[in-house]
Amino acid sequence: MVESQAKLRDLKTGLQLLLKILSGYRSIALISILGALIWMAMIVVIPYLVGSIVDEAVTARDTSAIWPILGIMLVAGAIQALGIAMRRYFGFKLSYRAEADVRNRIFAHIQRMAFNFHDTTSTGELMARASSDLSQLRLILSMLPITLANLAMFLVVSAVLIVIDPVLGLTASLMVPALLLTSGRFASRVVGFSFDLQARLSALSHVVEESISGIEVVKSYGQESRQLDRLEEKAEVIYDSSMSMARERAIHRPLFEIIPALGTVAVLAVGGIRVVDGAITIGEFVSFTQYLAVMVLPLMITGWFFANLPRSAAAASRIDILLETAPEIADPRRPVHLPQGPGQIELRHVSFAYPDGTAVLEDVSLTIPGGTSVGLVGVTGSGKSTIAHLIPRFYDVSDGSILLDGIDIREISLDQLRSEVSVVFQETFLFSASVVDNIRVGDALASDEQVRSAARLARAHDFICAMPDGYDTVVGERGATLSGGQRQRVSLARGVVRDPRILILDDATSSVDAVVEAEIQEALRQVMSGRTTLIVAHRTSTLALVDNVAFIEDGRLVAFGPHDTLLREIPRYTEVLAAEESVVG
Amino acid sequence: MSSAGDYRVERPGRLTARAARLSTGLGWPITGALVVTLVATIVRLLGPLVIRGGIDDGIAADDKQTILIAAGVYVGLLVVQYFVTAASQWSVAYVGERYLVQLRSVVFSKMLRLDMGYFSRTKSGVLVSRMTADIESLQEFASDGAVMALSNLLTVVGVAAALALVDWQMALAVFGVVTVLLGVSVVFQRQARKAYDMVRERIGRVLATLQEGITGVRVVQAFTQESTQASTFGRINERHFEANMAAARAISWYFPVVAFLRVVAMVVTLGIGATRVIDGSMTVGTLVAFLLYLDWFFQPIINLSNVYNLLQSALSALAKLFEVMDEDVAVDERHGAYDLPDPVRGAIVVDGVAFAYNPAVPVLSDIDITVSQGERVAIVGETGSGKSTIAKLMMRFYDPSSGVITLDGADLRDLTISSRLDAMALIPQNGFLFAGTLRENFTYARSGATDEDVWRVLEVMGIDDWIRSLPEQLDTEVRERGSRFSAGERQLVALARAFLADPSVIVLDEATSNLDPETEIKVEGALRALLSGRTSIVIAHRLRSAEKADRVIMVDAGRIIAEGTHNELVDGSDAYRELVEVWQRGLA
Repeated sequence: MVESQAKLRDLKTGLQLLLKILSGYRSIALISILGALIWMAMIVVIPYLVGSIVDEAVTARDTSAIWPILGIMLVAGAIQALGIAMRRYFGFKLSYRAEADVRNRIFAHIQRMAFNFHDTTSTGELMARASSDLSQLRLILSMLPITLANLAMFLVVSAVLIVIDPVLGLTASLMVPALLLTSGRFASRVVGFSFDLQARLSALSHVVEESISGIEVVKSYGQESRQLDRLEEKAEVIYDSSMSMARERAIHRPLFEIIPALGTVAVLAVGGIRVVDGAITIGEFVSFTQYLAVMVLPLMITGWFFANLPRSAAAASRIDILLETAPEIADPRRPVHLPQGPGQIELRHVSFAYPDGTAVLEDVSLTIPGGTSVGLVGVTGSGKSTIAHLIPRFYDVSDGSILLDGIDIREISLDQLRSEVSVVFQETFLFSASVVDNIRVGDALASDEQVRSAARLARAHDFICAMPDGYDTVVGERGATLSGGQRQRVSLARGVVRDPRILILDDATSSVDAVVEAEIQEALRQVMSGRTTLIVAHRTSTLALVDNVAFIEDGRLVAFGPHDTLLREIPRYTEVLAAEESVVG
Repeated sequence: MSSAGDYRVERPGRLTARAARLSTGLGWPITGALVVTLVATIVRLLGPLVIRGGIDDGIAADDKQTILIAAGVYVGLLVVQYFVTAASQWSVAYVGERYLVQLRSVVFSKMLRLDMGYFSRTKSGVLVSRMTADIESLQEFASDGAVMALSNLLTVVGVAAALALVDWQMALAVFGVVTVLLGVSVVFQRQARKAYDMVRERIGRVLATLQEGITGVRVVQAFTQESTQASTFGRINERHFEANMAAARAISWYFPVVAFLRVVAMVVTLGIGATRVIDGSMTVGTLVAFLLYLDWFFQPIINLSNVYNLLQSALSALAKLFEVMDEDVAVDERHGAYDLPDPVRGAIVVDGVAFAYNPAVPVLSDIDITVSQGERVAIVGETGSGKSTIAKLMMRFYDPSSGVITLDGADLRDLTISSRLDAMALIPQNGFLFAGTLRENFTYARSGATDEDVWRVLEVMGIDDWIRSLPEQLDTEVRERGSRFSAGERQLVALARAFLADPSVIVLDEATSNLDPETEIKVEGALRALLSGRTSIVIAHRLRSAEKADRVIMVDAGRIIAEGTHNELVDGSDAYRELVEVWQRGLA
């Protein structure tokens, strides 16, 4: 009971959302609806004309009466065609335009959502909002004009029939609810099974993918038949699901012919007797049969529309929830302009905890003088990366504050803050674009020369030039494959191309092997010189490059000072370094 | 996604005939489906004739009883029609779905039988899409298209026959209009397909960009590229919108034209019909029956033109599937192959072997290796030296271009596949796990193994504590590709799996990447247990493995350049010494 009430509420909010979206495209929607109404009017007129031919020409035995009526009928046919064209074209335009606009909004919104949102929301879920949910929405929007016209048509046709003859009209009108219910029921049941089917198809495709990527194992143990068994098992359940759908089709589809035919039988029996009794003319009888014929398809479509409505309303409300979720990190209302400065960073009693309350940093105070470099050292989970993420405001501190050249970073606009703070992540993400475009992500206005010098600084220039298209080589998921070290150097170039005041290297060298590490060391030395740099690091070789080390344990700053000093004075520091070193090898 | 649309279908007749030959065991269901569909169509076509009778002999003759009789007959017909139509729907779907089950199995078993050469030549995405996207487009045709095609085709033919029987002159006039409709439909289908191919391509780009925008969101924000990204996306999205609108234009003219043609057909029918009813050469009932038949002409033709699309994709999918079926199996069991004689000793001889994937580029030449029973041989060399290929030849993933490889004196090519594989196991670089439980993965190569067998092996390998520490122990789900576990842990499972298979010969392709120290120690212990008492060939990537081997073979550019114990080679081979130095540097 409660569930169905909740469903009803969802449906209501979903419908309101649909209308809200629709209101943005009022004129397109109106043209489409107008077209639908024209079409509907002609649907009503044409069977009437058929009846008049029978009465005024055939029954009256007047051949000359045929031609004017047929002429009118052709004109009505042409107007009807125009109405259909308007209805369809603008119906499509409405739905495609709305789909494209909402998709743009979703994308822009996703781009603005803060890190903690993305930490807890899967890519698949967001993709579903912008693809399958949106398609569902579009489908229903494109059907809206025709459905409105159909509803109007059922009313008008029923009224016309009842006016012509109340008994016969009421009998024939019974077809309307019967077909609506049948097609609604059919659509909702088939949709349910088709979801099952989709899930089962994807289970089968997992078996196939697994067999192919593990083919060496399959073949070296001679287990082909075992994989085949697994596939056949999946194929059988797909068969079951498909046959359930086939059963629904077998039960319902014939009804779409039978119900209108029963209507025709009723017209034949009741109408025939009324003709014999002289209550209606034979022409009116013929138009009745015609009305029944033209209503069948619209009735089926309308039933389908209402069966899909709840699903679309649910999709609409899911999209709305996403769009209404505000990003947790946003610009201050009145941003303070950050003046030129040396790049001094000050953490004042900084604490940070996850939304679930797990404390990560506790009361960390630390001043990093402008132009110096700091290594952040600690075991996994100590909170060292968190410090790196707080400075560009990927997350906000739970308590305390962080100052950049004396100004609280929450008072600076995100644009300015992040243009002064460059981050090179551990996971190097490159876009499917050319190398030069990937580096320009760091600074859209960088000249070719600036891009090259950043690449040189990051020791990437040589291997970029060695690639077939040099800086124009497309990389990323759909482009050339770069090694881990190469990717790392491209993203380093991206980080330094804008010549940021602060550079943060988040474990940027952990995934490369010893040879590449040595190459990157040299690049690091160059980019760090004269720039405030924070570097999350494990390797002694990297720590030898920095001015100071901040040693973090359990979310607290344990020591701050030059690497050598810490090595000498803090035994635990040496221990942690040794453990990290051996793991990385 | 493979786009079936742009694949040209050659010789559709031959394809269909070949597809039909695969329908073994479905003879009776197919016959049954055809018969019920035919009956359903005939019953459907009788309806308007009953109405004609009711009008002419009942209404026109002022005979109420005949009207009621006609109505009664019609109701009876409809009851029959309901059941035969339902039976037709169900039986055609049954045939199609059963056929697909068989097809999936036939294609997949052929795919699995293909040699490793095929798998390395063909992108895995393509192989997967044969079994998914391609068969699914057949599925769409089987579940919905086939019955539509069959019943609509029969209806059109039946209506044409019925019209011609009722009045052939009027029928001819109507056929004229229908011919125009057919032409229009063909043009429309062509345009719509082109338009939708474009839509499909562009939605692919939209989704790819969207995904990239989501996975790269942290970088985007770090460099405040949100608005640049949004405008790039907006452009790609707009191109998809434009493609959609082009498709909308292509289909927006079709349905109005069809609707207009329907009115034209009515006008023609009424013009001729009414004149003839007036001059007495036709009854009103016939005219009404004619009008009713007209509808059954138009809707089926529209339906058929939709089915035509499904049919096209189904045929092009079939063509691609038959390509797989026609692929030669390069490595197969020879006729008259025999079982490896018991007891298996596990001695391997590689004699004068040369190999090339592509005749122009030799990978291995003049390879002679003798591995005696229980010996451990390490093969070392740089990436691309051909050392992994030697392992693959020993597993008979490929056959040598010349020369011979023997196991216990028997040419690998003369042995039955099952007996050879019982004696040998390959452990690839990355421990590959199948989705399922740990138990299923351990017993992958020996499905009869009991839990006790598994635990005994785990104990011998020294990893029973680890498995016991998992809350669900052997029932632990490893998840897709074993993502529940680290690389090292997956390797451990793969080793245990090999142990349970209990082969005499183990070919181990060592992992290149480093494991964390704790796991590394576990892997070493497990490996020691696994290799003891067995012949082993280790494709070695680290110093320790070479040191431990009885003999080291160094391969360079497809040839053996040095052979001996580790110490002998360190003294005698400059190339080997260099390799050892690189290894040592990596450790430091």
